[in-house]
Amino acid sequence: MAAELIFNCLVGLGIVFYLIQAFSLPPTDNPTDVLGAGGLPVILGILGLVVLAAITVRVFRARIAVKIPMFDLGSLDGRSLALNVALLFAYMMLLDVIGFVLSTLLYLPIAAWFIGYRKPVALAVFTVAVTTTFTVVFGILFVVPLPRGIGQLRELSYMIY
Amino acid sequence: MDVFIQALGAVFNPLSAVLVIVGTLFGIVCGALPGLSTSMAIILCLPFTYTMSPDLAIVLLIAVYVGGACGGSISAILLKTPGTPEAVATTFDGYPMAQKGQAGMALGLAVTASSFGTIFSAIVMLMAAPLLAKVALSFQSAEYFALGLLGLSCVTSIAAKDQLKAALSVILGLMISTVGIDSINGVERFAFGQPFLLNGIHYITVMIGAFAVAEVFKNIEEYRHRDNTLQQGSVSIELMKFGEMVKMWATFVKASVIGVIIGIIPAAGGSISSLIAYGETSRSHKHDAIKFGEGNPRGIIAPESANNAGVGGALVPTMVLGIPGSPVTAVIMAAFMIIGLRPGPLLLRDQPVLLDTIFLSLVFAALLLFFGGRFVTRQFGHILKLPYPLLGTLIIALGLLGAYSFQNSFYDVIIMFIAGVGGYLFDKFKYSIPALILGLILGDLVENSLRKQIIIGDGTAMGFVTRPVSLVILLMVVFVLAWPMFSKLMGKRKSSAA
Repeated sequence: MAAELIFNCLVGLGIVFYLIQAFSLPPTDNPTDVLGAGGLPVILGILGLVVLAAITVRVFRARIAVKIPMFDLGSLDGRSLALNVALLFAYMMLLDVIGFVLSTLLYLPIAAWFIGYRKPVALAVFTVAVTTTFTVVFGILFVVPLPRGIGQLRELSYMIY
Repeated sequence: MDVFIQALGAVFNPLSAVLVIVGTLFGIVCGALPGLSTSMAIILCLPFTYTMSPDLAIVLLIAVYVGGACGGSISAILLKTPGTPEAVATTFDGYPMAQKGQAGMALGLAVTASSFGTIFSAIVMLMAAPLLAKVALSFQSAEYFALGLLGLSCVTSIAAKDQLKAALSVILGLMISTVGIDSINGVERFAFGQPFLLNGIHYITVMIGAFAVAEVFKNIEEYRHRDNTLQQGSVSIELMKFGEMVKMWATFVKASVIGVIIGIIPAAGGSISSLIAYGETSRSHKHDAIKFGEGNPRGIIAPESANNAGVGGALVPTMVLGIPGSPVTAVIMAAFMIIGLRPGPLLLRDQPVLLDTIFLSLVFAALLLFFGGRFVTRQFGHILKLPYPLLGTLIIALGLLGAYSFQNSFYDVIIMFIAGVGGYLFDKFKYSIPALILGLILGDLVENSLRKQIIIGDGTAMGFVTRPVSLVILLMVVFVLAWPMFSKLMGKRKSSAA
């Protein structure tokens, strides 16, 4: 129950922040635009808070425990998931630094290994095949400007896509 | 008759046949890859049409359009990652079917429904194009608002388990849709001076995060506890038997009618029609043995029929009025102009063969989709044979690429990540991700048409009820919202009487 209450509090804080911002939006010059830019956001914010309050009351009454493995770092599942979330975050951050090809070559095997895959040769083949396919299909065939990284890596990427 | 024979000659010749095959397959592949839209597929084909005759160019572009409209369902069913926005509703029942080991059946249903929807819309287009275009033009802000509300009301059927949490999910989706520049008076809202937020948060990136990335997170934590031999089975496409198809004829026809009608309305789009068709079907078949959201075949038939029926529907205002109703038809209209055709009221008079050529191209592409779609979808089906650690990382990398290539923006990737974590928590606390996406997709339409109608009405909202079409749609909204309560009440009365 505690986890859901914390979640509801965070959602509630988000809605309150949204509502404060909505109230501070400038009024419209057009007298027929009754709602203005802030009209619907204010209505949505108030409605959101009312519904959230009703849900929270129900959570209090039901008292059902919800397990969130992502935050349970003591368990193997929790650690595996948290590591994968962190890895995805690192993958995103590295995209603009070392480019798409290198970051994907790093991400795929490490993430699969952390999930529990233990066949190095198959993993290597999979990593190279997926990275090559994505680069060729998106970068070369469909001319999507994939992230190139910085410095020398950027220059090198122009030789591929 | 001469005109039809000329059109037959233009479509059914060896070169056209090759173009239909290539175009349909190319459309399916582009539709199946998140981040590559149908409009992008058509744009990529455009340079090849420069030297073609108008007939051949039309055949190719229509084939790509039909293939793209169906392709989105492949990744929606196999990976829970809708390849196109129109395939969002297909994930609701398509992915649960794939999880039960019925991926082949789900893909077969999608292909069958897409083919049916396309042929249905082609027939409607041929019979009533000018008349339908006139009706579509009568749609103004009041009708658009009512249509948006009708779309939102589907939440009662797509997230029926917990209506309160579904309502909050829709509200949160609507709130996210208000981020960016207000399109009525240009006020910056909730952007905090960040340029990437000025264009708003697009539902494609949220969808990829909340559906695909969140699903991978969920599977990672369950990976060690489940029977991982299940996913090793082969995926052979099972097309629906004629007898089974006949049993569900009403779902095919109803969804196709919804798809054609909404497709004709400019700017309404396939995602709205597929959601409304899904909502209507799940409402009218809620007592089926397999619940909606747990792998009900009608949950695939309805959105896919509606989505592809929108293809013929969307071409009606494009050709007859010169008004492209969607980004895809805008690209097609541009292509028509490049090859020397000027869409508008005079097009059908000056080019009498054109309508029949488009009709036959649609039918040809739909038939190819039905018979040849097996081959392409089977190749995608092999993905399911991968062990989950490889499949999961593949989905993440593809999702990231899809989010990035959508606007070539790194910020979209960050939004995808946030939506992924948010979607995971939504799933844990039993909130509704489809309802959130519904709010996000329809938010713009609802707010803009609501405010425009109030401005047109000098600050009053009477226009919503004084315009007959708007009033009828609003009454439908009331019916859809009140029906669950009404049927519950009736059920209680029956049980107490017994």
